[in-house]
Formats: sequence, C-alpha cells, structure tokens
Amino acid sequence: MDWLMIAAKNVVRRPVRSLLTLAGVAIAVAMLFSLLEFQRGYEKGLRGELGQLGAHIMIVPRGCPYEAATIVLHGGKWPSYMQQQWYDIVKSTPGVAESTAIIMDAVIQDGGAKNTIYMGIDEDYPRLRPDWDYDSGGWFSSARSVILGASAAKSETASVGDEITISDGTRIPPTKLRVAGILKRTNTQDDGLIFLPQATLQSIFNLQGKLVVVLVKVTDVTRTDEVVERLRAASRQAQASMNVFPLSELLGTLTALLSSTKVFVLAIVVVALLVGGVGVLTTILMTVYERTQEIGMMKATGAGWLDIFRIVWLETLLLTVAGGFAGVGLALLSARGVVAVLRHVLPYAPNGFALGFSAQTFWLCIGASVVLGLAAGSYPAMRAASISPIAAIRGGSL
Amino acid sequence: MNASDYIVEATGLEKRYRVHGRDIPAVRGIDLAVAAGEFVVLLGPSGAGKTTTLNMLGCLDKPAAGRLTVADNLVSGDGVRVSEARLDALRREHVGFVFSDFHLLPTLTAVENVALPLLWQDRRGDEWACELMTRVGLGHRLSHRPNELSGGEMQRVAIARALVNRPSLLLADEPTGNLDTRTRDEILHLLQELNGEGLTILLATHDRDLTDYAARVLHIQDGLLKEV
Repeated sequence: MDWLMIAAKNVVRRPVRSLLTLAGVAIAVAMLFSLLEFQRGYEKGLRGELGQLGAHIMIVPRGCPYEAATIVLHGGKWPSYMQQQWYDIVKSTPGVAESTAIIMDAVIQDGGAKNTIYMGIDEDYPRLRPDWDYDSGGWFSSARSVILGASAAKSETASVGDEITISDGTRIPPTKLRVAGILKRTNTQDDGLIFLPQATLQSIFNLQGKLVVVLVKVTDVTRTDEVVERLRAASRQAQASMNVFPLSELLGTLTALLSSTKVFVLAIVVVALLVGGVGVLTTILMTVYERTQEIGMMKATGAGWLDIFRIVWLETLLLTVAGGFAGVGLALLSARGVVAVLRHVLPYAPNGFALGFSAQTFWLCIGASVVLGLAAGSYPAMRAASISPIAAIRGGSL
Repeated sequence: MNASDYIVEATGLEKRYRVHGRDIPAVRGIDLAVAAGEFVVLLGPSGAGKTTTLNMLGCLDKPAAGRLTVADNLVSGDGVRVSEARLDALRREHVGFVFSDFHLLPTLTAVENVALPLLWQDRRGDEWACELMTRVGLGHRLSHRPNELSGGEMQRVAIARALVNRPSLLLADEPTGNLDTRTRDEILHLLQELNGEGLTILLATHDRDLTDYAARVLHIQDGLLKEV
C-alpha cells in the first residue's frame, strides 16, 4: 500500500463526481492544446504554402496586400488589376532572377455551388513552381489549350486530348479548349485550378493588357529587401500602382495578426482553466467534508499535518493530471472537426493547415494541469490537515 | 513500582469545554496511573468524562490543567507546551485506538486498513498486517472490504489496526457499543488474550458486564474518578 494507491481509491470512490470534475479540466486543457497546436499548424501551413509559391517577392495591384495574397494563394476573382506593361519594369529591375505574371478569373455556377478558377500563365510560371509536374500530357499545345490541376481534371472528368467548355452564360460565351496536360497532385491550390495561356485568358475574360500578380525570384535572397526597394522606386517612377512586398513580410504580418487573436483566445482558455480549477477545488473540498471522520481516524492513528495534506493534494493532482491527459486526447480526437470549423470561420486558412501533436505542447498542457492541481488542492488539503482530531472523529465541521 | 513501569501517569488532570460562553467541566482533576501490562476498565455513564479522559491519555486532546506522562513522555504539566506534531508522533509510536464505530476506510480492504498507520511512518508492513489479521482470527478475510464484514469482524480489523504500530497502550472507547452480546464477548476475549501477551489496555465503557474481564475497574462520574 502506498500514498498514490490511497489517493487513487479515494478518487474513484465517487466515480460520477470525479468524472464530471475531470471533464471540466479536460475541456480546458483540450482548448489550450488546440490553441497552441493551431498556432503551430497555421504557421507551418502558411510557411509551406508560401514556400510552394517559389517566389521571394509578390507584386499585386494597390489595395490590401493581404487580401490580394490570399486570393493568389487560393485563387479567386480579383478586385483590381495591374497593367501588362508594368511587368516589363519588374523584369528589367536589377536583382530579379526570374519572374512570372499571372492573370486570374473565376466562373461561378449553380448559384455559387461551383466556383471554377482560371489562371492565365506564361512559360516562366512552371520554373517558379517547385512541384510543377505532369501526370499526363504537357505544356500548352496551342493558344486554345488548357492544363488541368489534378482535382480540376477529376471534376471536369477530362483527359488529355478532351475538350472542355468555359462559359458563364451572359459574360462569357461558350468557348471550347483542348486539354494539353494534367498535373500531378500537389495538395496545393494548383490542384483545383485550370491553367490557360495568359493571352487566351485575357481574351476570353475580356481582360486584355491586365495582370493580377507578378511573382519574383531574386538572385540573392539576402538582398531581397534591396530588390523590393528598387521595385517600389521603379513603380513610383513609372507611376504604376503596384504593391510590392516580400513574402517573408506577408508571413510575419499574418502570424502577427494570428498572435493578436491568440491572446484573446488564450484569455478564454485561462478562464476555462480557472473554472476547471474551481470545480476541482469544490469537489475536493466536498470530499474532505464527507470524510471528516476518516481524517479524524487517520489522525488518531498518528497521521500528521503533512500526511493528511499529502493524501488530499495527491487526490487533486490525480484528478487534474488525468484531466490533462483526457484533454489532450479530446483535442486530438476533435482535431479534424476543429480544423473544419476554423476553415469555415477564418478569412484565410492555409491548405496544409492541421492540428497536430507536438511533445512541447503536450508537456505544456500536462504541466498546466499539474499546476492547476497543485493550486486547486492546496486549500482543501490545508483545511483537512489542520482539523482537530477530536472534532474530526466526532464528525464536526472543518 | 518505578516511575517507568507506568505507561500512563496523570495527576490533577482537567478538561473544560466552552459552551455558549460558559466553561463546562468535563474532567475535574483526576489522578490515574496505569502500569505496563494492566487491563483497566473505566466505567461510567454517558457524559461522565470517559471519552474525554481517554482522548487526553491518548494524546488526541490537550488537558486544560494537570500533569500527564505517556510512555515516559511528558505531555502536559506546568509550563509544558507540546506541539501538535509531537502529539502526532506520540500517538504514532505509543498509542493504539479502538472506537465503538470502527472508523474503517470503506475504499480499503481489511488488511489495507490494518496497514494504514504504517504509512505515517513511511513503512511497509503488509506481512505484519496479515499476521495481525490472522491473530484476530480474520486471516481468511484479508481482501474483503468493510462493507463485506460483520460488525464483530470490523471491530477485529480495528483492533488489528490499533496494534500495527506495536503500541505501549491500547485505548478502547466503548469497543463493544455497536455489537451483539455474543460478538461483544468474542471481542473482549480477544482483548484479554492481547493483555495476556503484555499489552496495556484501558477500556472505557458504560456496560457493567465488561468489568468481569478487567483486573482493575475505575469508576468515573461527573468528571471525577473513583477506584472500585
């Protein structure tokens, strides 16, 4: 027989009450775990998504660059455009190793249920995409050809050589295009896109001479800021309304935005932990009241202040640590659901974004439940340990 | 008889309780000496001061006045202030308690209940606890929980628990108060046997029939002690 066994037997003595208390702690710890893993997963997903762009600098039309960036990352309909000739300014700027210009538009069908995104690219685009690879076929065979992402090919049920039709009724008359290539699945936004030769897309969507984004790869990554400044200066000189920003800045800004919301959510988690702690305190205090005579008997047989304190404290720790483990389990079990909700709620969520498991977060959560147990158990343990043995044996109040 | 031959020596022991602002005397200056190996019955009606006396002798309660020595340790006397921790240690090392309503922990098995006081000494004594369970005739009930035992069996477990720290003094407060006559006699025979093995026993009761088992009977009435 040892201390832990006695404490464990006391915890399971009232299984329903202990389970409910444990559930309170578990929910709070699950929230903490999900929040910390959300931050980690979001940053990782964002970093991965930006890395897959294969560029160091992004140039978009004037406006909110972050809104623009999310449209670039996930595709969509553009609110404003850049002029095609501005691309020449970019290409001629010193320090620019490679660049590609993109035009994009979307056709919304079935009352918004189907959203097909078309991307007009030039021959430089595949060079900037590290994972650009064909499953079948290849580059545009003619001006009237398309390359399909893996998911787009599936939804269009098209193979190389087949014809697909672009149409949204009034704006764009039905236009037939032949499939020249189908890309391998990359688990990025490319999977869902339909790529067209840039001039073809501009012609079909009546966007002649317009661009939505230019991606730039620099010759020396350590001098990215210098290139950004040169591009901005060139843009000002040409009175071009270009918004030039390094992707590292985009990552920093998005994670900073995330961090500010994290503080708010963390405050909610702290409140949840406090509520869980008060629940534990109440439960343990209740069990101490119920066991007053038993505590008196223990004192009569020679148990000292520290002995009684230790038993009650251990009981509290067992409850909260078990709650901590259950909370981590709960967070892992509900991770998919949480991600689905977050994707729905967040204005932008990276494709690779997921709630994972890291040892650091795990131990932090278990540590939090230990601290919670130590704090919540102190008062009941002290009350139990300080009771007079005579009063306790008589079943008196603490 | 030498001073050290006495397990308990009390002189002018007093205890008062404050009730509604008034001091009510519970024990009024009793003198008592219990020698090692004695079986003493403290007989008295309800409210006479038996339990209060026992609690003071067992270091559960502090006397208001008087001098008390337990197993050669001064517990109370003029100018003597003994800490709670010291009283805990005295109970742990020298005293065994048996109560009328057993006070067994329902979550523990019989043998775990017996071994419990060893935990306060950071000692493991599973074998010793089993031995004591056999000694009180419950070797076959080791892993039964209190709710699976009869009243007599529960009191036997409580006696084994009181003996586990090898006390100098066993204090039994109405140990047969919740038992039928046959079980009462069994328990008293067991206590007699233990006394025969050298254990000092002080038993408080209101039941005159129990005096037959003791070599010495003290009568307590209104907090005053009288040898019969």
